[in-house]
Amino acid sequence: MAKDMTLLWGSGSPPCWRIQIMLEEKQLQGYNQKLLAFEKKEHKSQEVLDINPRGQLPAFKCGNHILNESYAACFFLENQYKSQGNKLIPDSPDAQALMYQRMFEAFTLGQKMADVIYYNYKVPEEERHDSAVQRNKEALTAELKLWEGYLNKTDCCLAGKEFTLADVLVFPGVAYLFRFGLCSERYPALAKYYTSLKDRPSIKATWPPTWQSTPAQDTLKTV
Amino acid sequence: MAKDMTLLWGSGSPPCWRVQIMLEEKKLQGYDQKLLSFEKMEHKSQEVLDINPRGQLPSFKHGNIVVNESYGVCFYLESQFKNQGTKLIPDDTDQQALMYQRMFEGLTFYDKVAAVIYYEYYVPEGERHDSAVKRNKEALDTELKLWEGYLQKLGAGSYLAGPSFTLADVVVFPTVANLFRFGLSAQRYPKLGEYYGLVKERPSVKASWPPHWLENPKGDEDTLKDV
Repeated sequence: MAKDMTLLWGSGSPPCWRIQIMLEEKQLQGYNQKLLAFEKKEHKSQEVLDINPRGQLPAFKCGNHILNESYAACFFLENQYKSQGNKLIPDSPDAQALMYQRMFEAFTLGQKMADVIYYNYKVPEEERHDSAVQRNKEALTAELKLWEGYLNKTDCCLAGKEFTLADVLVFPGVAYLFRFGLCSERYPALAKYYTSLKDRPSIKATWPPTWQSTPAQDTLKTV
Repeated sequence: MAKDMTLLWGSGSPPCWRVQIMLEEKKLQGYDQKLLSFEKMEHKSQEVLDINPRGQLPSFKHGNIVVNESYGVCFYLESQFKNQGTKLIPDDTDQQALMYQRMFEGLTFYDKVAAVIYYEYYVPEGERHDSAVKRNKEALDTELKLWEGYLQKLGAGSYLAGPSFTLADVVVFPTVANLFRFGLSAQRYPKLGEYYGLVKERPSVKASWPPHWLENPKGDEDTLKDV
């Protein structure tokens, strides 16, 4: 039941957003939730540590079950609420395989995005190198070209015609790319994917609140 | 059917090993397979690129279906062969939830191990720093303490999600095995040591043990001896 669930989350964080989209898709609105601020280090508060010893968001409790890893929460919810809301794991082996392939490739996409967007945050000043910045940018460009290719070949969603768990898990990262200034002209298939899904009810209902009130960044505009 | 399956793999690579353990657990022995050498850059050969444009191992085909992400293969096989071999996703919700949580924490675990073991492979010479090496070791130490704690809470003889061997063990054990291969101290991490001792005897794990580890029983034991 949604009222036995608690989500501590941060605005714009793709892992948090995945769980929120999932809860909407499975008709589990009405869960307890609290928006926390990374900038104020609220992810390291006792309230979070009590659920997630890693001091990370999302921190998610489903009854007695702790599922802080966003993919874990989404898989568990799909299993437990299989016959409620939208069916997110297709039966067809081809579609299923493609869904699994894309959702796990998305970790690579996320890593390459983070290497560029968070370079200065993750790498202490004395360890930074222009060669690394350049290499990270080239790696992200190559990765994005792969995803352009994937999205050029499909009808609407990552695993084919139907919206699946792959889209729940990957869309937030794609939205993040455009939030950070990715150029739509250079990546039209990704832009089309982004535009076509941003009005999906589960996505619209959970759009990051801070994205509505603060300006986007242009970190990725030359990628 | 196993004979419609092809696996291109490298010895000792945790992602490849996960798939091999999975195929054994689901009684899918008899698949086509080829051992390739990372050192000879065989993962960038046309044979691999034809299945996996990323030029990475594992590369896995089932008929016309291609899945190259190891977790993807594991989930796909468990779904397609649910009624065959070992049941790897428990129905019991406590174990199931814990299984999923540990499986995905397993990715962070693998990253922290790889950051130490493969530092010189990932980072070009001109960009290496002692401060980074130190930080990566400390991060690994913190991560290892977490997993010691997880195993401690479950008690002796337990698998990662409780009393049964699950998908969590399929995907995380290869990382743990690599830790001991590279010299992690079982004195300092007794729970991980017990877990390693327990799972290494499992038939699926024995059947897929990295061949070059059998040829050279002593690995690079200096890498993690101080962690």
